[in-house]
Parts: sequence; structure tokens; C-alpha cells
Amino acid sequence: MIYLLPSISATLGAILSFSLFRNKHKEVSVLASFLAFVFSIFLLFEPDRFTAFFYVDSLSKIFLLMISSVYLGVVIFSIGYLEHSHGHFVKSCQYFSLLDIFVGIMLFSVTLNNFGLFWVSIEATTFATALLVASENDIAALEAAWRYIMIVSVGLTIGLVGTLFLYSSAHTLSITDLLSRQNRGSLFFLSGMLLVIGYGTKIGIFPMYTWLPDAHGKAPAPISAIFSAILLPVSLYPLIRFFEVYQNPSLSKFAFVLGFLSVMTGSIMTLNQRLYKRLFAYSSVENMGLSLIGVSLGSYALFGTIVLIFTHAFAKSGVFMLTGNMLHELKTRKIEDVKGLIKIMPKTGLFLFFGALAVTGTPPFATFFGELLIVSKTINYYGWIVGFALFFFLVCGFLFINYRVINMVFNDETKPVSSAKESPFTFVPVIFITLSAFVILIVPIFYRFIEGVIK
Amino acid sequence: MGKEIFALVGFWEIILSIFMQWQAYTISNIKTFSVQSWILGIFLLWAGVFHGFIALIILALLTIITRAIAMPLYLGNTIRKQIYRARENKHRISTGLSILISLLLAVFGYLVYYLILAGHGQSLVSIPITLMLQGAFLIVSRSNAYSQLIGYLVMENSMFLLSFLFSELPFIVEAGIILDVLGVVVVAGLLMRVRDEDIEKEEELLG
Repeated sequence: MIYLLPSISATLGAILSFSLFRNKHKEVSVLASFLAFVFSIFLLFEPDRFTAFFYVDSLSKIFLLMISSVYLGVVIFSIGYLEHSHGHFVKSCQYFSLLDIFVGIMLFSVTLNNFGLFWVSIEATTFATALLVASENDIAALEAAWRYIMIVSVGLTIGLVGTLFLYSSAHTLSITDLLSRQNRGSLFFLSGMLLVIGYGTKIGIFPMYTWLPDAHGKAPAPISAIFSAILLPVSLYPLIRFFEVYQNPSLSKFAFVLGFLSVMTGSIMTLNQRLYKRLFAYSSVENMGLSLIGVSLGSYALFGTIVLIFTHAFAKSGVFMLTGNMLHELKTRKIEDVKGLIKIMPKTGLFLFFGALAVTGTPPFATFFGELLIVSKTINYYGWIVGFALFFFLVCGFLFINYRVINMVFNDETKPVSSAKESPFTFVPVIFITLSAFVILIVPIFYRFIEGVIK
Repeated sequence: MGKEIFALVGFWEIILSIFMQWQAYTISNIKTFSVQSWILGIFLLWAGVFHGFIALIILALLTIITRAIAMPLYLGNTIRKQIYRARENKHRISTGLSILISLLLAVFGYLVYYLILAGHGQSLVSIPITLMLQGAFLIVSRSNAYSQLIGYLVMENSMFLLSFLFSELPFIVEAGIILDVLGVVVVAGLLMRVRDEDIEKEEELLG
């Protein structure tokens, strides 16, 4: 029950900010997110727990910490963000309430010991967030929200077929029971493929990623931040558990191919993006593809994935929040219209530059370390040619994204410079991106903490 | 006897989903979905009573209340406020071709069963697979948001048949699925009220 405390805080925040404390919804949400964060830190020092309902090990605790940290930052940043935006599809109290319930569901899902309930909670996040995507209430936002809800729901239906096959094959959906059973037939393998496709839709894996750039591009900046930083990794969580239960070389290859194609698509698509939020959305496709590769390979590549998604969570959420600052002050979403950001908005410009370096895996950010582990395991498992091809697409993504960002931040040749006012809440992305730089220092502690999960 | 009834239920579910393919009136599709859900609910109720499974009876009642009554009523009310969407004049795929593809999907559903799942002893599994494909096809063949949502709901109905055929999922999972689908319908309904589906190229969604 103690492991539900972060989730209960967020859920209570949702209920209270929508009912009794409508006038104080922002304060309630900040308090709820702060409590969730404190509880998550406290739970790091609690023993692992495996019951019929809960499966809480060090991986779950890391996810709890990651979710609640980003949640706290996003709630604080949203206060400033919403003050500047008008004509919303949802009211401010509804926005915070939906945000709280969405995070409450995610915090709940990573403590579960049941693949069926994983599906239920991941699907629940879809309808909890669709209205948030539509928040800006224009044609494109509504269309993006519609595509999001339809594509993800249909994709997750395939995941449900996988869950049914899993249950039919093993007669249980519990992780602990599945770990203790050895007899796994072809239906088990088929269920694995369907789960990869189903959850892959929500993770943003090729070819079902099409909702992701639309939703990330049109959602309000704090929502894009929490989507990219938390929602995608939480959707990957059931697959991490499934690969923990079932290691099959063919299934691993299948997931690897999808992951590889995602890295390839994500990096190539960054080349022709004209809108900066979509640029970073494709970077998420790339990072999630790489994470799936790490999960499929297991061992130290899985550790690489965990380091990657943890660092990516802070860096990418910071970057998306900064794009919110840019949109408010510069009133444009186009990359070509943004020049000399470092002079117009110095903090935003500088940390956007650092954030872009972090999400593209530049040393000394821990994303580099995570990517290095995954690429080296790929070389180890599939040989130099495949490993080099993967490395090549990562370099492409790095070059295409950073070239655009450097142009936006440092190039001020074409437009006259006029300074703009930066949001006082800019300290949130600044802290997040700074934290992402320090993750590398705690990697050894991280490894000791999670050693039991890495096989 | 159970197998024969299942086959009969599955047959009608497929026939009704093919019927949806040539319907131009969205309200008729909503009613057809309601009929489909009634058949499913009554079947689950019969199975629950016949086998004495309380959980199955509760699920049947939940299915009838949410899918056969609440969702069609909600969607019907939503569409009455947007009467211009009540008829879909232009399908992405012509009606004749839609029906042909639907029939081919039925054959494909059987092939999927025969080639992949035949070894697992459930000969009727081709029925929910076919129904699922019909639902997916309804989504891709229509641009009307209501038809797309109904396509999704048909897919979810097929999940219930599949779940029944293999082994019943734990009650908490089945109930969670029903509530999730209800949530999706409510949120989709809210979006449909304001969404303009005639947009072709929105600059912000390109690339």
C-alpha cells in the first residue's frame, strides 16, 4: 500500500482541484506533485515488494522517481504557461485535474504485477490526455488530438490481443507467476510480437509513430514535455517486464528491427522539419527506438536504456518547456523565424542549446553513455555493419537537430534583435537540463541500485 | 451447444459489421453497433447463467449498460447537435469495393487462423479476428469521426469474443477494459463536437 502513496497524492490532487478546491487548483496540484515527489524519494529506501497485486523493485522505484520529478516540474511550469495562453479547450482547473489524474495513473501502472492491468492503465492515460492535446483549441490541435486517440487506441487493441494470447498461453498475467514458468509455446511468442506492436504504438515506434509528432507538436509545451519524458517510457515499461519474463531470440530480433527502423525514421525526419516542436518530437521517436533496441538486447544494453530514458526525461522535458517560452514570446512555431535566440532570450537560448546536446547524446551527458552501451551491445550481438548503421543514424540525428538549434540560438544575421521577456518559470527547464548533465555522476550508484534487474 | 451459439453470435456480429460498410447514415451505424452489443451482452449473460459464473453475468450487464445503451445514446445525442454529420456522402472507398474488401477480410481472417493459430485448437478464433479486421477497415475506409469511432468499438467487441473463446481474463481486467473504452468514447465525443474533419492539409501537421 505504501507504494501507492505517490499515485494517491496525484489522484487526490486531481479530485480536489476539480471539486472542493477549484479556486485553489494550482496550489493543490503543486502540493500533490510535491508530495508525490517526496514519497518517491522515500520509497527509494524501502525494500522491494512482490505481492499478488504489486511488483515493486528498483526499476519501479526509478520510474516512480522519474515520473514524480517531471510531474513536479511540469505542474510548476504550467502555472506560468497557462497565464499566457488563451482560448483553451479545457479550463485551467480541468487542465490541472487531467494532468494530475494522468500522472496518478502512470505512477500506479509502474507498481503493478499484472500485464492486463498494465494495458488498462496505459489505455487510461490515452483518454486522460487527449483533451490536454486539444488544449489550444484550433483546427490542428483538435485534429492532432483525434489522431492521437484513434491511432493509439487502435494500436493498443492489438496489445490487448497480445495480452489475451499471453493469458491463454500461460493462464496467468502476473509477472511473478510468469517468471516461475518455463513452458512457453508459440502462442507466447505471438503474444510477445503483438505486445511489441501494441505498446509500440504508444511508445512511438515505427510504423505506428504517426500520432507522436502531431500530438507533441500541437499540445501545450508542458504537456509535450510530460508526454516525451514520461508517457513514452512508461509505455515501454510493460515491454521491459515482458522481456524480463521471456527471452526469445526471434522476438528480440523483431523488436530490434522495429527499434532500428524508428531510429532511422526519427533521425531522417529531423532533416526536413520546419517546426521546432516537431523537430524535438522526431528526436523522441529516435530515442524511444533506441530504448526499444536496448530492451530487446537485454544485459548492459538494458542498463543503457534505463540511463537513456532517465536522462532523456529531464533533458527533453526541459527542452519542450523552453519551446513554450519561445512560442509565447516569438509567436511562431517555425524554425526559420527564430534567429538570435541567445540575444532575445538568453536563458532560453543557452539552455535550449544544452538541452539539444543532451537529447542527441553528446558527451558528457549520460544519454551518450546510454547510447554507447546500446550501440556496443548491438555490435556485440549483430556485428559491426549493423552497429555502424545504427551509429550512423544516431550521428545523422545529432547533426540535423543541433544544426537547426544552433541556427536558432546563435545565428542572428537576418532578423533585427529585440529582447523579449522570459517567463519567471524558466528556472524549471534550466534546473531540469542542468540535472540531466549531472546524471552521469550517479551512473555507478544507479548501476548498483538496479543490478538485480539487469541480467 | 456453446460452440454453435458462439458461431451464431460471431456470424451475426460479422454480418452487422459488413452492413455498417455500406451505410451512409451515421445514426444507422450507431444503432447497428447497439444491436451488435446487445447480441454480445445477451450471449455473455447466457454463458454466465449457463455456467453459473457471477463475474460473467456482471460483465454481461456492464456490456449491455455501457456498450449497448450508454455509448449509443451518448453518440446519438452528440450527432443530433451536428446534424450535418449524420450522413456521410463521400466514402474514401466506394461502397461496392468496401463490401468486397470486407468479404476478402473474412477470408483473410480465416487464413490467419489457419496458418498461425490452428495449432492451438480454437477453430472459432477466425470469427473475432475477422470482426477485428472489419472494425479496422471501417476506420480506414471512412473519414467521418463517428464511423471511425464505431470501427474502434467493433474492434473492442471482437476483443470480448476473443477473450471468451480463449480463457476468460480476470474480472478486474475485463472491467477495466470496459471502463477504458467508455472513457475513450466520452473523450472522443467531446472532441467530435468541435473537430472539423474536412481539413486536408494543415501546415502544422505536415512532415
